[in-house]
Amino acid sequence: MRVPEIGEIRRRKQRLRIPIVILLAALIITAVVTCAVLGEGIAPDSPFRQRLEVGDTPPSPVHIAGTDLLGRDVLSRVIYGAKTALVGPIFVAVGAFTIATLLGLLSGYLGGFVDSAIMRCVDFMLALPGPLVAIVVVGVVGGGYWTAVLVLGVLFTAPDTRIVRSAVLEQRPLPYIEAARTLGISKTRILFLHILPNVGPIILAYVALDFAFALVNLAGLSFLGLGVEPGTPDWGRMLFENRNILFSNPVALLLPAGMIILTAVSMNLIGDWLFERFAK
Amino acid sequence: MTGSSLVLFVMRRLALAIPLLLMISFGVFALIHIAPGDPVHSLLGTRAPDPSTLAAIRARYHLDDPLLLQYGKWLSQVMRGDLGVSIQGNRAVTGTIADRLGVTIFLTLMSTVLVLGPGILLGAIAAFRCGTRLDRVVVALGVFGASSPAFVTGIFLLYVFGVLLNWFPIYGPGRGFLDRAWHLALPALALAISVMAIVVKITRAAMIEELARDYVTFARARGLSWRRILLAYVLRNSLIPLVTAAGLIVVGIVAGAVYVEVTFSLPGLGALTVDAIQKRDIPTIQGTTLLFSAFVVLVNLAVDVIYTMIDPRIRFGRVGS
Amino acid sequence: MNRTVARAGEHSSLLEVEKLAISHGAVPITTPLDIIVKRGETVAIVGESGSGKSLTARAIAGILPPGINATGTITLDGIPLMRLSERELRKIRGFRVSMLMQDPFTMLNPLMQCGDHIDEMLRDRPAFASRAARAKEVKRRLAEVGIVEEDVAGRMPFQLSGGMCQRIALAAALARDPELLIADEPSTALDVTTQAEIIKLLRRVQRERHMSLILITHNLRLAFATCQRIYVLYAGSILEVGDAAAVERQPLHPYTLGLLLSEPPVDVRVHRLVAIPGFVPRAADVVDSCGFANRCDWAKEICRTGKPPLMARDTTRLTACIRQDEIQSELDSLRMATLSATEITPRPAVATEALVRIDALVKTFVGRQGRPICAVKSVSLHVMPGESVGLVGESGSGKTTIGRCLVGLERPTAGDIRINGIAAADFDAMAKADRARVRQTIQMIFQDTYSTLNPKHSVGQALGEALGASAGASSPATPERIAGLLAEVGLSAAYSTRRPVSLSGGERQRVAIARALAVKPAILVCDEPVAALDVSVQAQVLKLFKRLQAERGLSYLFITHDLAVVRQITERIYVLYLGEIVEEGPTERIIGNPQHPYTRRLVESIPRSTIRNEP
Repeated sequence: MRVPEIGEIRRRKQRLRIPIVILLAALIITAVVTCAVLGEGIAPDSPFRQRLEVGDTPPSPVHIAGTDLLGRDVLSRVIYGAKTALVGPIFVAVGAFTIATLLGLLSGYLGGFVDSAIMRCVDFMLALPGPLVAIVVVGVVGGGYWTAVLVLGVLFTAPDTRIVRSAVLEQRPLPYIEAARTLGISKTRILFLHILPNVGPIILAYVALDFAFALVNLAGLSFLGLGVEPGTPDWGRMLFENRNILFSNPVALLLPAGMIILTAVSMNLIGDWLFERFAK
Repeated sequence: MTGSSLVLFVMRRLALAIPLLLMISFGVFALIHIAPGDPVHSLLGTRAPDPSTLAAIRARYHLDDPLLLQYGKWLSQVMRGDLGVSIQGNRAVTGTIADRLGVTIFLTLMSTVLVLGPGILLGAIAAFRCGTRLDRVVVALGVFGASSPAFVTGIFLLYVFGVLLNWFPIYGPGRGFLDRAWHLALPALALAISVMAIVVKITRAAMIEELARDYVTFARARGLSWRRILLAYVLRNSLIPLVTAAGLIVVGIVAGAVYVEVTFSLPGLGALTVDAIQKRDIPTIQGTTLLFSAFVVLVNLAVDVIYTMIDPRIRFGRVGS
Repeated sequence: MNRTVARAGEHSSLLEVEKLAISHGAVPITTPLDIIVKRGETVAIVGESGSGKSLTARAIAGILPPGINATGTITLDGIPLMRLSERELRKIRGFRVSMLMQDPFTMLNPLMQCGDHIDEMLRDRPAFASRAARAKEVKRRLAEVGIVEEDVAGRMPFQLSGGMCQRIALAAALARDPELLIADEPSTALDVTTQAEIIKLLRRVQRERHMSLILITHNLRLAFATCQRIYVLYAGSILEVGDAAAVERQPLHPYTLGLLLSEPPVDVRVHRLVAIPGFVPRAADVVDSCGFANRCDWAKEICRTGKPPLMARDTTRLTACIRQDEIQSELDSLRMATLSATEITPRPAVATEALVRIDALVKTFVGRQGRPICAVKSVSLHVMPGESVGLVGESGSGKTTIGRCLVGLERPTAGDIRINGIAAADFDAMAKADRARVRQTIQMIFQDTYSTLNPKHSVGQALGEALGASAGASSPATPERIAGLLAEVGLSAAYSTRRPVSLSGGERQRVAIARALAVKPAILVCDEPVAALDVSVQAQVLKLFKRLQAERGLSYLFITHDLAVVRQITERIYVLYLGEIVEEGPTERIIGNPQHPYTRRLVESIPRSTIRNEP
């Protein structure tokens, strides 16, 4: 007979100590959000204005990051590109997790037939090579930013559902849930007032991680020419467009590449930190 | 596990994999129908849309048959090794794939070696030196790696080592083993970095957990040497989470290969797929997607079998306490 | 091969620990401790959670977890252990000092065969270079720990029971014939009957090898029954040292006495349970005073002006109670008064209907690989209104399953359950009104105090929700009613805004009891409600149970493995073994004179005192 650990009192809540790295990450995210919101306001030039006569030039006092093949100011395009870098992934992460939370709650708590049905679909989707499916489907259906967002959202729902379901399964056998059942509290109340608040924090951590992953995948699709429409200032798209000017203006490639990494790293750090805090 | 029960187990998992493959193949088949526009026009390619050509296409691809029948005929074709004909230049898809297969295999193998070797080693070192500066550096590198998709890393590597330092070529697959290895070094590295991050993370987490386990403490208390503890206790037990994640790793490498081949202009299957997508060459897309997907499914199956073999608890089921 | 490691007649000290202070960075975990173990002696270190006993054991073995450091001197047979390098220490560990840990299931490598755990310890000896020689030796050592079946060496740990795993771990720990064995709670994770076997095995092995043994435990009675000398550790300091028999007869420290009285004795039903109020503090919080001062009935100013040192009272006894000579007579009389037996007033036979009646209950589960497991074979029992009934059994007896069937958490495969006359075997099939009525009649208290409350809800929210759950709740959950519930379980109204994470295990269990009382039930099913609590806190909760029964006429179905608890709380018990009731009757009669062989084994497994119970 297993005897659980004899009582440990946690009287003092762990003081909130945010490491510097996380603050830095939050700063970067804030900066990117600012760019996305203010866009044209802070960009030095219009991201669409072409100067075909100038063509691609290396960085100069007028164009801090140089110009691309069509003479467009690279820095402005990068600032503007923050929009597509953030909006899509938010939809993917939040959308996928909203559906996943619902499915995971039902699947984990109700068990039985509902669970088997949902998990069978999930297992099927998990067996697919996700990024590849995204490329092929978006490519065949005919590109487009929102098509990509939709496809990624659907693909992310599977692993997210599994995550929510495991979290729910962890809570379900605990005495406070059983006590609620014994008291006759309704299933809906238990699901949303007892289980959800306890799996919520860890879901939040995963949302951050999902966001980073969606950002990277979305940029990847644009890199292959499948995401945003041509001409849109988008970090991934810029990597697609500017590959040929690697020698004349490498900044046009390195800057958007760097932004992708920075934003993804920041979100991953925040997500990991939240995970550490909530997973106990 | 006895030989016969192992065979039985493999058979059972294969049986589960088959419906999966069928469903995937149906999805691949249906691509032609989810493409915008009339399937006939998608299959036209560069030819003129005159009635006789259209009729010929209709006949060849059984487009007038009900959907399931179309699928059946397509599937039987595939089973016979006929993946259709590319719309560009009318070449058999199987031929094109055969041409490109070599590069992709070389690339993915090289990456896998890079991922597993240094990946597991770094994870192990970080676990042993948990909390020290070295560990923090490894963890930081891991986060960067995980956040850097292969195409982004590829661009950075290309610029630094290809353009600036000129140590490696920046495009082409190379000829001959060593030359090919030299040409594929940067792409393989780019591909490996993002996937290695996962391996390092999992290995490190698994080992840290193992080192904290009671049986390791008990082994230490009995005075066993670190060598013995490492080999018999820590490493073996750490393998399990890693094997579980192998599926994830394979998918990462396969998807990453696509990006990397585009970045470095390598004539591999991934670049072929992207090229076919841009040209709306559905038969080629179907061919490569089917190949990739089947590969992933089979690797997952192999992983399942390996997992069962190394963890005896799965075979026997646990004794309740 | 020489197994007896000490020269006969030598009684010098084998281990001398001087001023061992363990800390986690700057936070102290123990004050400087002095421990002496002679050759062939058995010493117990008794302490509750937070006392630092496990870390002390690990410090002696030299395997402190990272981040924990120790200062002081540990001398083993003249060798200063703390000054040795890791390589030199490895020659000591296993060869001269070895350790046995608490959880048999996690102590063995799940991927390694059982025999290999012993085999790997023999590989460095030239006598056992060949595999055949090792295999023979493994067999011999398994026999030493009582394992004689052929194939055990080739099995994997998860295929064996806890008791078997513990024996194998013991054989592995002894494989290099150490002179000192440290056993950290070696039986706590086991069933009661297995516990007794393992302790017996430990004592036999210790005697035969003339080995020194340090037994770490929270169970004072076990320490008395097994060891020669006792060290009582509390919040990181040693409060009392002495020979087991002497300490049991006359504790020289209020804490030792309190601990002794908190553990309900199994020999007698006592008139009242003495509980120590409060909970165990952290060592860091009581650096400048006697660690026990805040819970001590005899604490005065002097106890808080600095940490009282250990002082010798006679040749072999030490105590850290600075007021000991003043209060000793009071301690003695308290002990005598509390440990005297009391009569149970027989319940007047009222011909009423049973509150809970179970008839031929059967519950089968589907186990691994589809094989059915019959947890409950055919159990019939009843509880009368106002009665306190015990359901006693070990793991696998089915007792928890029965409890869960009663409150609707499980559905019985067959059989009938009647609660207050209403058929309650299938909760889903009941009419809504009936179900609500049954839920208001019977509630459950769970074992795991850590997760018994929703960590995201305050105490007030939890109680408010429970109040609202009573069907037809005429008045809403007002703060007054919540305060009323809290008062019932001895907690102030201020607890209403607190979160579970800031409460101790005992407090959480009280809130759980308050929650159950919110619907005004007639009977509480208590599934091991105190097993997860510190000993000094267990008595508090048991006292609460007794008071609630006296004041409200509550009935209990007390599910437990602990016969001592059952003796103090229940009037009648059922003894359950592998899903069947093997004996039933009045508590006093069953414990005093068990008939069924299993019941007898259960009663005999409980560690008895070393002295006959003389007042």
